[in-house]
Amino acid sequence: MSDLWLHPASALILGALLLPLIPARLKKVWLLAVPIAAFALNTIMPPGVHGQWQFLDWTLTFGRVDRLASVFGHIMSLISIVATLYGLHVKEDAQHIAAWIYAGAALGAVYAGDFLTLFLFWEMMAFSSVFLVWFRRRKESPAAGYRYLLVHMAGGVCLLAGIVLHASTPGSSFAFEAFEVSKMTPASWLVLIGFLVNGAVPPFHAWLPDAYGEGTFNGSIFLCTYTTKTAVYALCRGFAGLDLLVPLGVAMALYGVVYAVLENDSRRLLAYHIISQVGYMVAAVGLGTEMAINGACAHAFANILYKGLLFMGCGAVLHMTGQSKFTELGGLYQKMPWTFLLTLIGGLSISAFPLTAGFVAKSMIVAAGFEAHNLWAAFLLMLASVGTFLHTGLKVPYFIFFGKNHCRPETWERAAEPPWNMMTAMAISAFLCLFVGCYTPYLYDLLPHPVHYHPYTAYHLSETLQMLLFTAVSFFLFLKKLEPEPTISLDLDWPYRKGGRMFLWLAQKPVQFADNCLGEFYRVGGIAGLMGSARLAGWFDGRVIDGVVDGLAEAVRKLGQRLRPVQRGAVQENLTLAFALGAALLIVLWLVW
Amino acid sequence: MPTPFYPSEFPILSALIFSPLAAAVIAVLLRSDRALRWWSFLSTLVIALVSLPLFWQFDARTADFQFREHAAWIPWLKINYTLGVDGISVLLVLLTTLLMPLCVLCSWRYIKARVREFMICLLVMETAMLGVFCALDFILFFVFWEAMLIPMTLLIAVWGGPRKIYAALKFFIYTMAGSVLLLVAIIALYLQVGSFDIRQMMGRPYSENFQCWVFLAFFLSFAIKVPMFPFHTWLPAAHVEAPTAGSVLLAGVLLKMGAYGFLRFCLPITPQATHLFTPWMIALSLIGILYGGLTALAQSDLKKLVAYSSVGHMGFCTLGIFALNKDGLDGAILVMINHGVTTSALFIAVGLLYERLHTRELSQAAGLGKFMPVFITFFGVFCLSSMAFPGTNSFIGEFLVLVGGLAWSPWLALALAPGVVLAAAYMLRLLQKVTWGSTNNPRHNGLQDLELREVAALAPLLVLVFWIGLKPAPIARIMEASVKNLLQQVNGAPAKMVANDPTRDSAGRPNNRASWALAEVLTPNQTP
Repeated sequence: MSDLWLHPASALILGALLLPLIPARLKKVWLLAVPIAAFALNTIMPPGVHGQWQFLDWTLTFGRVDRLASVFGHIMSLISIVATLYGLHVKEDAQHIAAWIYAGAALGAVYAGDFLTLFLFWEMMAFSSVFLVWFRRRKESPAAGYRYLLVHMAGGVCLLAGIVLHASTPGSSFAFEAFEVSKMTPASWLVLIGFLVNGAVPPFHAWLPDAYGEGTFNGSIFLCTYTTKTAVYALCRGFAGLDLLVPLGVAMALYGVVYAVLENDSRRLLAYHIISQVGYMVAAVGLGTEMAINGACAHAFANILYKGLLFMGCGAVLHMTGQSKFTELGGLYQKMPWTFLLTLIGGLSISAFPLTAGFVAKSMIVAAGFEAHNLWAAFLLMLASVGTFLHTGLKVPYFIFFGKNHCRPETWERAAEPPWNMMTAMAISAFLCLFVGCYTPYLYDLLPHPVHYHPYTAYHLSETLQMLLFTAVSFFLFLKKLEPEPTISLDLDWPYRKGGRMFLWLAQKPVQFADNCLGEFYRVGGIAGLMGSARLAGWFDGRVIDGVVDGLAEAVRKLGQRLRPVQRGAVQENLTLAFALGAALLIVLWLVW
Repeated sequence: MPTPFYPSEFPILSALIFSPLAAAVIAVLLRSDRALRWWSFLSTLVIALVSLPLFWQFDARTADFQFREHAAWIPWLKINYTLGVDGISVLLVLLTTLLMPLCVLCSWRYIKARVREFMICLLVMETAMLGVFCALDFILFFVFWEAMLIPMTLLIAVWGGPRKIYAALKFFIYTMAGSVLLLVAIIALYLQVGSFDIRQMMGRPYSENFQCWVFLAFFLSFAIKVPMFPFHTWLPAAHVEAPTAGSVLLAGVLLKMGAYGFLRFCLPITPQATHLFTPWMIALSLIGILYGGLTALAQSDLKKLVAYSSVGHMGFCTLGIFALNKDGLDGAILVMINHGVTTSALFIAVGLLYERLHTRELSQAAGLGKFMPVFITFFGVFCLSSMAFPGTNSFIGEFLVLVGGLAWSPWLALALAPGVVLAAAYMLRLLQKVTWGSTNNPRHNGLQDLELREVAALAPLLVLVFWIGLKPAPIARIMEASVKNLLQQVNGAPAKMVANDPTRDSAGRPNNRASWALAEVLTPNQTP
């Protein structure tokens, strides 16, 4: 193995920066080549510590490669290929650049060996992903992106405060290692809050449905993959076994499910559901056993696949019809059958149907819960699976592709199968969902700890099928009740939106008035005086100093003009003058000496 | 010892000095404008590349003059052809050779008439400028000093703006008037010493009276060149009327010659007089800084604004020189280099604007940022550098000058603060207006952004702005020994910090962390 080590993120970030320079004919090739290169770099990376750089007093570690980081790096680089393929036909370079920098930053954060590097990439993720929200360019987009950025900046500040506090305590350094979960200090709480904000853990979660529902159709694939899963990785690394995370995760799982059921917008539903899924992972991290951590990683892996697939399906519908609300859709099976099929696979996968990725991944967490004798957590998580199947496995495919056709005529006209690249991307994801579900060693070999879990047992199969089938039965029984209604769910973003407005009023009225007064004073007293002096200096320079210089030159010239008549061209006059002057000089000298 | 690049005993300095002259001779024979431009560019580029190894070959451990050459020129007058560079002049030589290809590049389309004569003027100027920095014989120095006046006057008078004759004459006569006294001083020194060799004139026990007169004679000549207040009014006129390449050379190199003169002659040859006149020099420098800043703020002509900013910057330079401590001298030399880089870049940028807009009025150029983003990027960086923004090259120089001035007197540092603020004021005003001013000007719509040639003219300077700004240690290393030696010569004692220095502890290290950090950055590596 050569000494040259290239960070997989470098392929993505460099590719992003060079993208504007690629000629149009080769753009599609470049768009595919770069994430493939990143995935290849990620795959050939040997475990160990690479890429250390001495900066001032600190050692920055860019490549801490171990099994925990690798599993996240693997799926993140893999999904970047699929997501880029999905958005291959997008002509705006800036969207790809933002997406790749975001993906690269996530990879950087996953492989960061010290907190400073982690923070650098953490912030890079926030600042690049916000563009994926802004680029949708709807009326609501600027505000949504702005709120997203504010929340992430607040989280980042918390994280930085925690890092600095942690590193300044004696005996600890900037190295990114596990915290002492039994002895939580203010520093570790702050770092935890920073991670939880990114992981959309309630009460810090409201940004997620807000922003992910507003993202571009292809940007949302990137959005749903990276931020939350990087937070899960960070929690796995730093806070494995923290007991608080178990109830938090379980509450999250249920919370997300409840709000998802209420949602009308299909992508916001999926976004709320991310909260639910991440809740599983957070609970697993809280459990802290080897199987739990395995489960968290496996679930993250599988979640990226099927959540991506679901976002792709709903994104395809959004892209083709321009609508994402259930109250505007329905009956699209006739127009988009393949999209339906692939979305359905995603839905089944997320519901942990046998033979899909969810079955072999999600259940590991529940099994870990039972194994740790945390029965409340395990049962409640199973309950959340019911809800999952209800809304994502059933509601989403049914109300978009079947059910009552609420489509307006122009929506119906536009609806058709999406372009080949989107279909291919979805097909690849669907294939991977099924592949991971059927051939478990692919996933299990990547997991950090040895896997002693066998998903395909008769008990597990029957338990799962029972739950799913009864959920399906109840869905169809209560179909009328589950009809979509155009509602806005009031969530925890209400306080900070209102609070934000109040703060803005404060800034615009009283503070601005004070600033205006100060500005007037500064203008009248300061600037006017300064510019007056400047003009005076300029005048002085031109008139006085230059006057002296030019005046001197002018005086010399005038003197010369005065003397010119002395030379009239007549040689005898000149000679007379010269001799007279010479004689006078001699007389003076003779008199002096 | 670095491996030799030049073959041993190869007269590299003579080669560098006279190659442009040879290129000029060949240029006489060329016919087409295109061939002339390419020939000039390639020859100046080759000379620049050949001069680069001076940087690595220079032995920074000694203050002796290196790459010396000696030949008897006019034996009966004891005038010799002696060349040599020390830590200070080698940097200026490199600055000169670097700027020349950029001058040719920025004149590519600017000069349409008499291209051959123009290129010959540029090349002859390069010979003269390099000769000034390398000469170790006073008459040789004086010959080159006067020689550079003529091509510069021609550059202004033939290819200049509306008031070119006025500006060219003013420049020529003003500078020559100063040089006359310089010649008187040279002859006076010769009569005392019996030789024109500069090194032999240093360190002699001249009477204080004699030193004062010689210093004053030197002062007049160099103060006009620098330019110091109140001898500066030729500069705005010359800069405004000169073509871009002329302005670049004027600001980039010629102004440095005045400061170089102070460093090379006034300080080591007349040290007592230097000490005597230091308060006056510092006062004049301070006035120059504040005055230059104020007048720049009042300008609406872009070139005049940058010209007055040069007055301000060179005020920092002379202030650093006459603070007569290590920080001040280090800072002054860095200011010279940085000013050469930054102001040349600004003049090139303004020249590019002029080529497009055919006016230098700020109001006409307002709001260009929307149409010429690449240009504004470059322009913005150079404006930031000109106001000594941290991270850019000028910051290091000005900061050191401030530290040196503080060591001289705390009131001085207090008085300098408005100067720094003024620099920021006029540069930011310029940058803000040009980038974001009102965009209602219909002439802006068809403007072309920078093409490759123009980017190539500005890119090396951009690189230097950040390189010197972030890692000045290599340059500081080169001049270290020469500066120490100069301090020894002027202070008549082993070079150590000025006593009662409030900013340093007993070990001589600066007290506050900022200048400690800076000193760490500037401390040369202790490699043998």
